[in-house]
Amino acid sequence: MHIPDGILPASVCIAGYAIAAPFAWYSLRQINRLKDPTEELPKASLLTAAFFIASSINIPVPPSSVHLVLNGLLGSILGYFAFPAILVGLFFQAIMFGHGGLTTLGVDAVMMGVPALVAHHIFQLRHVFRQKLGEKLATSIFAFLAGALGLGLSAVIFFFLVITNIPSGFDAQTEQAAVYGLTLAHLPLMLIEGTFTLLLVAFLQRVKPELIERRG
Amino acid sequence: MRFELDEYAYLDSPLHRWEPRFKLIGLLVLIFAFAFIRDLRLVPVVLAIAATLYSLSRMPLSFLISRLRYPGFFLLGVILLLPFLSGETVIWQWGVLTLRQEGVLAMLLVVGRFLAIMTTALILMGTTPFLTTVKTMRSLGLPSLIADMTLLTYRYLYDIAANLSTMQQAMRLRGYGTSNRKNLPFVPDLRELGLLASLAGTLFVRSYEQSERIYKAMRLRGYGSEKFKVHPVYAGPTSSPTTLKTWSGVGLVCTLLVATGLVVAEIL
Repeated sequence: MHIPDGILPASVCIAGYAIAAPFAWYSLRQINRLKDPTEELPKASLLTAAFFIASSINIPVPPSSVHLVLNGLLGSILGYFAFPAILVGLFFQAIMFGHGGLTTLGVDAVMMGVPALVAHHIFQLRHVFRQKLGEKLATSIFAFLAGALGLGLSAVIFFFLVITNIPSGFDAQTEQAAVYGLTLAHLPLMLIEGTFTLLLVAFLQRVKPELIERRG
Repeated sequence: MRFELDEYAYLDSPLHRWEPRFKLIGLLVLIFAFAFIRDLRLVPVVLAIAATLYSLSRMPLSFLISRLRYPGFFLLGVILLLPFLSGETVIWQWGVLTLRQEGVLAMLLVVGRFLAIMTTALILMGTTPFLTTVKTMRSLGLPSLIADMTLLTYRYLYDIAANLSTMQQAMRLRGYGTSNRKNLPFVPDLRELGLLASLAGTLFVRSYEQSERIYKAMRLRGYGSEKFKVHPVYAGPTSSPTTLKTWSGVGLVCTLLVATGLVVAEIL
């Protein structure tokens, strides 16, 4: 889910960079407040590469298959490192595969990165409900929500941007219907993404709990 | 390890010799000027500019075509959808298929801008070694954390990809994907989803453990000990002969003039 070069006017591309900048600045500030940011850097970098590669795994959904976006999971695991990780990942996707683009890097970063940060905070909510729901259930519920909403928010931003910026003539009503329709079409994908995030977090909780306890 | 985009980064052409900082600024401004156009009459102009730059770079046409293969699917989508869905003026109708003038024009604009931007971005990235590009971005103010992350991610991307393909092969050898169970359409098999989640999870765990070893190795080599000093990888000598600097400056001014010309032409 990337907006390629050429489809958005320059003003929207520049606005994308302008909106992405404060999020990047805030994320970097939060990272620099960590006890030892340099220790976290190689971990975040290799996990970024792993996310980038893992998003290429095909999930069979008969009769076809889908790729996951994994931005909710990225936010849950990397915390504030998620935003720079997404910038780096999108940069590679743009220059290596022509997936996304350099002009739309800011817009794409907002579209993927802001929901990732939201997902990070949703996943942190598990600490609040830990007492009430129990550790395992709270982690599962909030992992699912983080995964599903990460993708859902990105889908809403994506369709809104694409449909309102196509250079010529849909009327407002058609645009609105298309945004709603396409977002609704993403509900099953949100369920898959949420379930995948839940299963993966459960796996990490069993195998390497420190990975999900890290705070970016 | 060789980065795919570095394949033609060591040719000898005016664009390869162009000082990386001037090139980055010049071509990025040009790319944004391309994104700025809305007037269809300017589309051939931007395509001609991109084509001229590409021929100046001396990179083979097959390289450009191979880079356009993946985004070609997007192009196909735009070509197939816009002319039939967008706009009011019908120019051709056959059954339920209606070709609309506004949609055709929008399609030409999007495709034209896309091709010009993609080609120029490829020239920018393809005529400079990747490490130099990151170094240049760092010298132009990219935060060191993002630059370090870019380099480390780039360094281990292919390792991790190889790791995943080994694990997927191991899964297949143990019988994954050979089950004859019939699934309902559009409903993923939960067990299969669990296996793939474990696959991705194992990839994360392995990467995480590898990163711990890398961090220790980096510390032993002094990483992080001089917090405010520029990382050695970014502090390479940037001196170049005066004539080259002059020509690079001329190149930058020309590119900025062309970009300004496009924006002015669009506004007028």
